[in-house]
Amino acid sequence: MTERENIKLIRTVCPAHCGIDGCGIIAHLKGDKIVKLEPADFPDEKDRRICLRGLTSLDITYHPDRIQYPMKRVGERGEGKFERISWEEAYDLIVSKFKIITDKYGWKSIGWVLGGPGAGTTKFGAYLRLASLTQSTRVSAWGYGDAGLPCGSRIILGHQFPYLYLHGEFWQRKYPELLVIWGTNPAESMPLQNMRKVLDAKEYGTQVIVIDPRFTVTASKADEYIGLKPATDSALALGIMNVIFHNNLHNRDFILEHTNGPYLVRTDNGKMLRGKEVEAQKADAYMIWHEPSNSHKTLSRTNVKEANLTGTYNINGIECKTVLQLLMDLAYDYTPVKTEKITGVDKELITKLAIRIGSSKKINFLTHMGFTRTYHGDISLRGVISVAAITGNVTTSVSSGHIPGILNWNPFLKAIPDKPSFHRMGILNLYDAVISGNPYPIKAVWFAFINFLNQCANSNKIIEKFYPSLEFIVQTELFMTPSARYADLLLPICSFLEFSDFIAQPYPYAQLQQKVIEPLYESKSDVTIVAELAQRLGYGEYFKGGEEGLIDIIMKTRSFEGTSIEKLKSQAYKLPALPEGANFPMTFKTPSGKIELYAEQLVEDGEALPVYLPPIEAPITSAEMKYPLTLVNGHSRFRTHSMFANVKSLLNLNPEPIVDINPIDAEKRNISNDDIVTVFNKRGRTTLRARITEGVRPGVVDITEGWWIEQFREGSLNHLTHDIINPVQDKVYEPNMHMNDVAVEIIKSEGAKK
Amino acid sequence: MSNGKKFGMVIDQERCIGCEACSIACKIENTTFDYWIKVETLGGATKDTPGGNFPNLTMDFLPKLCNHCESPPCVDSCPEDALQKRDDGIVILNPESCTGCQSCLTACPYNIIVFDNGTNLAGKCNFCVHRVDQGLEPFCVICCEGQAIHFGDLNDSNNSVSKSVSEKNSFQLKPEEGTNPKVYYIPPLPKKRL
Repeated sequence: MTERENIKLIRTVCPAHCGIDGCGIIAHLKGDKIVKLEPADFPDEKDRRICLRGLTSLDITYHPDRIQYPMKRVGERGEGKFERISWEEAYDLIVSKFKIITDKYGWKSIGWVLGGPGAGTTKFGAYLRLASLTQSTRVSAWGYGDAGLPCGSRIILGHQFPYLYLHGEFWQRKYPELLVIWGTNPAESMPLQNMRKVLDAKEYGTQVIVIDPRFTVTASKADEYIGLKPATDSALALGIMNVIFHNNLHNRDFILEHTNGPYLVRTDNGKMLRGKEVEAQKADAYMIWHEPSNSHKTLSRTNVKEANLTGTYNINGIECKTVLQLLMDLAYDYTPVKTEKITGVDKELITKLAIRIGSSKKINFLTHMGFTRTYHGDISLRGVISVAAITGNVTTSVSSGHIPGILNWNPFLKAIPDKPSFHRMGILNLYDAVISGNPYPIKAVWFAFINFLNQCANSNKIIEKFYPSLEFIVQTELFMTPSARYADLLLPICSFLEFSDFIAQPYPYAQLQQKVIEPLYESKSDVTIVAELAQRLGYGEYFKGGEEGLIDIIMKTRSFEGTSIEKLKSQAYKLPALPEGANFPMTFKTPSGKIELYAEQLVEDGEALPVYLPPIEAPITSAEMKYPLTLVNGHSRFRTHSMFANVKSLLNLNPEPIVDINPIDAEKRNISNDDIVTVFNKRGRTTLRARITEGVRPGVVDITEGWWIEQFREGSLNHLTHDIINPVQDKVYEPNMHMNDVAVEIIKSEGAKK
Repeated sequence: MSNGKKFGMVIDQERCIGCEACSIACKIENTTFDYWIKVETLGGATKDTPGGNFPNLTMDFLPKLCNHCESPPCVDSCPEDALQKRDDGIVILNPESCTGCQSCLTACPYNIIVFDNGTNLAGKCNFCVHRVDQGLEPFCVICCEGQAIHFGDLNDSNNSVSKSVSEKNSFQLKPEEGTNPKVYYIPPLPKKRL
């Protein structure tokens, strides 16, 4: 903290759900009022940053509509009628309701629905700890859009995230010859940590490719834009592999060393050939075809480089092929002509792109969640990583740079060491648990940092079936959001300037979100609320020291040994650099320990290879259907999901929801620019203004997510989306919401006021 | 007060992502009623839309603000001397002297001066003189997401702004007006197609 002209300057962090951006900011405090925010210094000047949303944070802190005190519902759910109560009454209500429900259904029936904590850590950890102590259910919110990518990444890499493997060097500002940005628009969703580096890379000389059904701001910066149909990414990946294999541009050494490409697979059942099936010594060992001896051999670290990568072999009467051969056989079917037919991308362009990928020395692939928000989005990611893997562009060791900040959640999950932690449930599974009691009934939910009704799929189902099946709904909130209206008890929380938290972002830094002012009105931080409730439930001792106590716990890991809360108050901490010349291998926690081009665990599902499977709903093959347009949900720079949707200074520039539609589709429907239109399908409808733009593919319409329900003229975006569960994702990790795989039709809304 | 300085700005279109953080930052810093920086989309008919036909499209952005002209027509037009060019080249509008006659709005060839009917005052970018006089950069510069906006002394041939102006194909808006703007733009890089 420094002082100038009676203004105290306090360093803190905007923890909004852009997550990895984690902008350090300086708050100017005059008396007890924050008068200004500005970007804070970082050890590297290039990292000083803020975005248009972060700049307006004071409009949230000092927003006239903030919920100021605890409130109990007095009207019907959804009506928004509440009466003021004290915190004491609020806690008493929770404790008594929980008692009634848990006496009857057990603690498992209490669900803590934790949305996106953004870059925040202890506010998340506090709930995990209480859920564990009470053996209740933690409902994971990965599945409201962010589970598809981890599903695919877990299968092929054995890790939750593919980022370090695909673009770790990019994050370290070591720019490659070619950067392929696949299915993500960092210019709006991650402008600082990712997009600014894209611009740096271009200045450095990197050629940039953007693959996206929308011509985004990111696409406008691309050297080449590839505008594919939504949900056809794995077909494009196979088409690229087709050209690479045909031209022998794959990286044999890399495939042999780092993937399961040379492993033998039985053609009769699709399973890996194991030692015991051919009387080898190690019963469970994988087998290869050993070129020098022209015979099958048990895979070993030394002989893998002598394995045949391709071919069909007969081993004791069992026909086998190598994994790479199976992948090639699949890819050979995806000729540029066929791939063009599926993806809508010109065959010449596919060929040029593939040749460029196959002949570049170093490529980084920049991806995020967007393109994985389709029914088979997990396979789409595997397709992209397969392209990277066969060309040797998956990073397998970190040779320099800074270690990532690893958070250790175990102390929160295991507050009492030998006691099991919470029960875990995916958010899409919650629908069934609440409505039908499967796999077990959830009777009370606590929503924290989530605008559930606004942001989750199939609003009508939530309103008509989900909410009425619940006995008790608690929500911590800043505003009377569409979801808050359905709560039985509303608890006012602080804005981020009113409490402290530990922020392990942006790479390669850790920072302190430092409390700048005391909580306004009667608001409290989530950590304080959890701690005070825990006290009443008999677990007070596990929340001692409040926020700072929990920050101490989460900072106790090797990544953060060099810093302390005190030090973080004045500057961001740069994570330790690896010693020069040090080479740390990155592991693959897959069954084979390699990049799995072939996933044996998915043979029965028909998804062992990164196959192209048509979308569940997106009508990309026929224009004759009842709902012939594919709806996608872009992200807007004016909001972070549904945060900032009620900020005037942003609404000035972007006043209302719009649907983007291509001129070809607009003309067919007699829709002109600025017309009011209704977008509908069998689940629901929404009415809003249309913008005619070449920025979306013909056949695709885009409504950016995050607008609040009441900002639409009728319905909302999620009145159109579906909660269909992909069973493979359910099995592998947790089912994802497929908001970019939705069929709709649009009509001009007659008689609507402009 | 100028010490031989001549302040100018360079905006790199390649690095501009059209986010409008500059517009918002400026509005907050200067508590203005209207935006002193406006980001124009170069492409389609409406804001944030590309030109061309899918998928052969282009879109660029052009943030526009007071050009702090070497020969500023607004200064000449103001009957109250509310507009002045400082020795360091910054053109400032003093609201205390402004009577709301709007001559400057007509005189400015860039149509960038705004008018507040409520207060009856004209307004425009003043390069954040309150910051520049303390040795700080204008607020939009430090808030630019793409690090596209650069500010500095054009008389100092060693700084990055002067170098960009002389080395990077820079251009000024409406050079035919003879106003000699001190806001320069660097055009987007040519595309390296596949």
